[in-house]
Amino acid sequence: MNDSLEQLIVRELTKEFSIAAESLPILAGVNLVLNRGEALAITGPSGSGKSTLLYILGVLDQPTSGAVTQFGQNPFELNTKQQAEFRNQNIGFIFQDHHLMPQFSVLENVLIPTMVYQGETSDAEDRARHLLERVGLHDRMHHRPAQISGGERQRVAVCRALINNPRLLLADEPTGNLDRSNTESIGKLLLEINQEQNTVLICVTHSSDLAALFPRHQGLRDGLLVAETA
Amino acid sequence: MNQARFVIKSLMYHWRTNLAVLLGVIAATAVIGGALIVGDSVRASLRQMTLDRLGKIDFAVTGHRFFREQLASDLASTPDLPAEIKTIAPALVLRGSLDRDREKQHLRVGQVNIFGVDQRLWSLLEHQDLPPPADNQAILNSRVAEQLQAAAGDEITLWIELPSAIPRDSLLGEREEQSVEITLTVKTILDESSKAGRLALMPDQQLPLDLFVSLSTLQAALDLDEIKASRRNPQSRPARVNSLFFSSDNQTTATSYAAVQTAEKLEAALKAALKLEDLSLKMAPNEQYKYLSLESEQMILDPQIEQAGQAAAESLNLATSPVMVYIANEISHSQPEKQPEKQPAKQPEKQNQQSGFSMYSIVAGVEFSEKAPFGPFTFLGEKPALPLKENEIVLNQWLAEDLKVKVGDPIQMKYHVVGSRGELPEVDKTFTVRGILALDGTPAADRKLTPDMEGITDADTFGDWKQPFPMKLDRVTDRDEAYWDKYKATPKAFVSLNTAQTLWNSRFGNLTSLRVGPLPDQSLTETANVFGKAILKNIDVLKMGLAVLPVKFAGLAAASGTTDFTGLFIGFSFFIILSAIILIRLLFKLGIDRRVSSIGLLAALGFTPRQVRQVIFKEAFAVILLGGVLGITAAVGYASLMLYGLKTWWIGAIGTRFLFLDLTPTSLITGTLISVFCSAFVIWKSMSELKQLSIRSLLSGVSAPVSDTKKNARRVSHVYKISFGLALLLVLLTVSGLVPQKEAFSGFSWQTVSFFLVGTLSLVASVFFLSSRLRIESAIPVKGTGPAALIKLGIRNAGRFRQRSVLTTALIASATFVLVSVAAGHRNPAVETPDKNSGNGGFTLVAESSSPLIYDLNTPEGRVKTLVNVPDDPSTQQLLKKMQVVPFRVKPGENASCLNIYQTSVPTILGVPQEMMERGGFKFADTPGDNPWELLNQPQDDGSIPALGDMNTLMYSLHKGIGATVGIPSDERPEHELKIKGMLDGSIFQGVLLISESHFQQLFPEQSGFQYFLIEVPPQQATQLAGILETGLTEYGFDADFVSNRLANFLAVQNTYLSTFQTLGGLGLLLGTLGLATVMLRNVVERRSELALLRAIGMTGGNVALIVLAENAFLLIWGLVSGTLSALLAMLPHLLSTGADLPWESGTLILAAVFVTGMLAALLAVADAVRAPILTTLRSQ
Repeated sequence: MNDSLEQLIVRELTKEFSIAAESLPILAGVNLVLNRGEALAITGPSGSGKSTLLYILGVLDQPTSGAVTQFGQNPFELNTKQQAEFRNQNIGFIFQDHHLMPQFSVLENVLIPTMVYQGETSDAEDRARHLLERVGLHDRMHHRPAQISGGERQRVAVCRALINNPRLLLADEPTGNLDRSNTESIGKLLLEINQEQNTVLICVTHSSDLAALFPRHQGLRDGLLVAETA
Repeated sequence: MNQARFVIKSLMYHWRTNLAVLLGVIAATAVIGGALIVGDSVRASLRQMTLDRLGKIDFAVTGHRFFREQLASDLASTPDLPAEIKTIAPALVLRGSLDRDREKQHLRVGQVNIFGVDQRLWSLLEHQDLPPPADNQAILNSRVAEQLQAAAGDEITLWIELPSAIPRDSLLGEREEQSVEITLTVKTILDESSKAGRLALMPDQQLPLDLFVSLSTLQAALDLDEIKASRRNPQSRPARVNSLFFSSDNQTTATSYAAVQTAEKLEAALKAALKLEDLSLKMAPNEQYKYLSLESEQMILDPQIEQAGQAAAESLNLATSPVMVYIANEISHSQPEKQPEKQPAKQPEKQNQQSGFSMYSIVAGVEFSEKAPFGPFTFLGEKPALPLKENEIVLNQWLAEDLKVKVGDPIQMKYHVVGSRGELPEVDKTFTVRGILALDGTPAADRKLTPDMEGITDADTFGDWKQPFPMKLDRVTDRDEAYWDKYKATPKAFVSLNTAQTLWNSRFGNLTSLRVGPLPDQSLTETANVFGKAILKNIDVLKMGLAVLPVKFAGLAAASGTTDFTGLFIGFSFFIILSAIILIRLLFKLGIDRRVSSIGLLAALGFTPRQVRQVIFKEAFAVILLGGVLGITAAVGYASLMLYGLKTWWIGAIGTRFLFLDLTPTSLITGTLISVFCSAFVIWKSMSELKQLSIRSLLSGVSAPVSDTKKNARRVSHVYKISFGLALLLVLLTVSGLVPQKEAFSGFSWQTVSFFLVGTLSLVASVFFLSSRLRIESAIPVKGTGPAALIKLGIRNAGRFRQRSVLTTALIASATFVLVSVAAGHRNPAVETPDKNSGNGGFTLVAESSSPLIYDLNTPEGRVKTLVNVPDDPSTQQLLKKMQVVPFRVKPGENASCLNIYQTSVPTILGVPQEMMERGGFKFADTPGDNPWELLNQPQDDGSIPALGDMNTLMYSLHKGIGATVGIPSDERPEHELKIKGMLDGSIFQGVLLISESHFQQLFPEQSGFQYFLIEVPPQQATQLAGILETGLTEYGFDADFVSNRLANFLAVQNTYLSTFQTLGGLGLLLGTLGLATVMLRNVVERRSELALLRAIGMTGGNVALIVLAENAFLLIWGLVSGTLSALLAMLPHLLSTGADLPWESGTLILAAVFVTGMLAALLAVADAVRAPILTTLRSQ
């Protein structure tokens, strides 16, 4: 078995933004290798490029240079449509602002990613229910996002990220809007799911408490990943 | 979870935004669908009006020719008659005038359609079993009754022209007794809803002026009734009519193109049933000389008849001899030393001796035949060389003796020629005598060379003549009387036929008779029978004015080809549609802005951009579709409202209340589809803008791409500079007359196109200028203190959601543009004084008469012969002397002015007199030459006849431009072609075509005299003069009106359309204001935290309100001012023209009302924001 099929490999990844004819480097050659089942927390000051790195890994943004191989495939070689399918099938994204759609119930929000490539199947719904039960929201399935707490909303977002059994789980400040107790709860949940689902988990956060829960922790400084000591 | 569920849930959740979009779509659909329904309804109403006004009449023959009433029965028994023809009704259809004295008022109405009917025609009309008018009774329609203020039982007087067999403006025509006065008692008044009361043969939606009288009453009054032969008067005469009406029992063919074929078959049947007397012809057998003489009651043979006679004779191999006879007033031995002509009046006694002259001699132009029956002529002495030359003459023995002349002597002949104004100037010509003819028993003694004419050829003495012109009876000698007594109208002198036709040429023809010899071995009676039939076979009924018209089919076709009300109302509603579409885009965009992070999320979750757009579009499309369905229901209401408006507030536009709603599935579906398509398009375009944003931007709530501000600002700056420059250039070109007024496309002139271009360019310039200023943050620096600083801050806020601000301003500016330009388009001809180079041509009065006037009203003689009951006071005489009347000949046709919304093809044609062409005047459009009237005399290479027309008539009614041709009598069966050589601009000549008088007389010889008049008189004396002329010319049905009134009536249509446009433009502005209010509300909602912050840092609610209101007022004022300035710029050429009447006050009021409404809407939004608790608001955000 080829190892690269089970790995996330990032080589010399750079990202620059052009502002008023000037170039602003954000990522300056990031290298990273993560196997399935591994979890990494990335911390760094505001504007260090944490979210940019995460968005590139989530195929929501393009790198300026460098290579990203996710489980044997470079998603940036795909066209827009294929990238969308790749994102849907391989990546689960958890946002700081959870981005739940207010018009839908908790269960429906979780099912949204299944609409485009799997359609409505009882399997998907069973899995959604199972996931929601797993995160302790079995009695909140038919509530609207506005009717549940911030921590619960983020759990729904976790379930939505997991609904298509992604191999890569990306979390962008997942606890940024939560209190300490919820932060710990969500952090543990992410790590448990990482193990249960054998995903690659990358979480960027400001929270040292959350980062401390992760077995591997790196900082992003001057556009490069550096090892962080506990 | 599937897409359908996704869409339904989203629809319900975002119901407020969707409801707003739904309302926008409903508005757009209602307006588009409504316009289509209005178009359908007008067409259907016109169709129904055609069916109503014609009742069961499907075909008609009508014209100037009076034929036997019996022809109807003869035709009915013709085997060639098409089987579907059920009824044939003879009738008299004429024009007349009515008057009535009521208390101290003398009420008068001219140009009334007079129908002489009996049960046969009456049965074809729809009148709820009303009996036809009995003798001396009148049935009036409501419009006539209203104008005469008449009720059942009242007495009214009908003035109608007496038909004259001999044209009035020919030598022997009756000039003195032109009209007959008939007193009638009103029996019934047909109310406005009565279909019979709308009877008219020309398509026109306006209620006609109709009067029905009994056929027999009218025939008796007009001397058209039957005279049975009696001992005293052996000459019988059949009753005559001038119209036949046909009804068919097959309405499918009568109302379809098959009607044209049926009409052709009917024409063939009519031809088979015709008799010579139907064409006013008679075949006089001359038993003495053994020939037949084809003669006309007109005294002149129509050239068509002459040709048919010649062709018939040729086909039968008959010898022919054409003859032209004329009356010479005096023939004398030419003596240079003779006293001047005017002296003889001094001679009191009749000449008893041979005096060297002869009065009132008949002179014949013949081809001297050597063979019987037309020759040989027996000369006394030397036989002249034949044919005679132009100045040669032969006299009979009697005249030669009278004049004491011999061969070679000169003689002088005096005779009348016919002037163009009824005058009969006497001219003289010298001939050389080339022979003396023996009288007795020779063809020269044939008194039948002169056709019989009642009152002349049958008179015993000259004194018994029914004088066709003032005769100098005192100069008639005993020898003259003796000759008359013995030889009657036997010609005394002969010239060659060519000479006679050259000297006495007439537009009515060139022969007084056509003689033919008998068929071998057949009597004259038998020959007459055969020859008569052969003539009729060669007659073209169309040329003889007996064409059968498929009136119902033609009326229905005219209803279908009417003014395009769909296009008109789409045009009128254009800015509502535009406003609705912009509003839909604006509202949708506001909704999208709120949901942009959700859209980003879908993309992040693996939806492809297309799938994301599909999901959102499906939701929007469901709204659009629902809006389309609800909108088309609203369209029915909108159309009903528009039709109600056309029947009431805007009645001036079409002048009829007989409009009804007609719904067709095609229009309903089309209206829905157009609206759905337009809405879907703008929504799809709005979503496409999201493609430019990264998923990350979408997720973070960014809804508009960040562009290079400076670069874009430069580009935007170029756009507004170029747009404004082009707009100015176009205005300059238009003002300097370099932009032509001719049609560019689809009825739009180049100047109209220029107007729209200037308007669009200046609106674009203003909007782009605003966009450019909003991009440059330093343009409005925020500094200072107090209200001024707060206002600046507010204005700067307008740049935050630049696209929203610009869209809203564009919406308001567009609607303002419409309102102001429409207001500026109003014209008021009442403020225009007579000006030679304007639409009034310098004339103050315009008049029409029901009967033609023969004489010249500009001369004392003409006035004496025409006007009656004129006060003899010096001021009246002075006024009559001062007026200048330009008379026009008239060939009645369809009303092609903007007052008629049916499609017209052959309008009324006016013959323009030479003096008018020399005088010049009026305003022309795109017509070359200093005096375009002279174009009417320009010969055309293709033989067509040059014509002028009013631009509105040509472009909107006839759909013809300069260089186009109009077929006469119709485009389908043209006998002649009129070529449009020039266009009058906004003139009194709307609805007619103008050709030169000489061409007119060639084309329409049967039209005698003048029936249309333009009168120059000082405006302050015009009312007095109109009264004098109307009273003095009552028997002619003379009706005078102010030129400015007539122009105002034409412009009432244009002004009414403008009012319609203005009303609908106002609705557009209302939508624009609503859009602005929505945007402001949205802006305030989105900035609640900012506003709360401002309050948190110490600003009062008033300060915050000032900031928001300043932004709102800035956008409102920008829209109003830029729309107003753009409109004034686009309308500048019009405003510089005469008669522009800008309603400043009402326009300013409307704009002020819009401003106040917009500010109030913003104030409500502000109040809501200011009332919210500061802390809660800050926390909630």
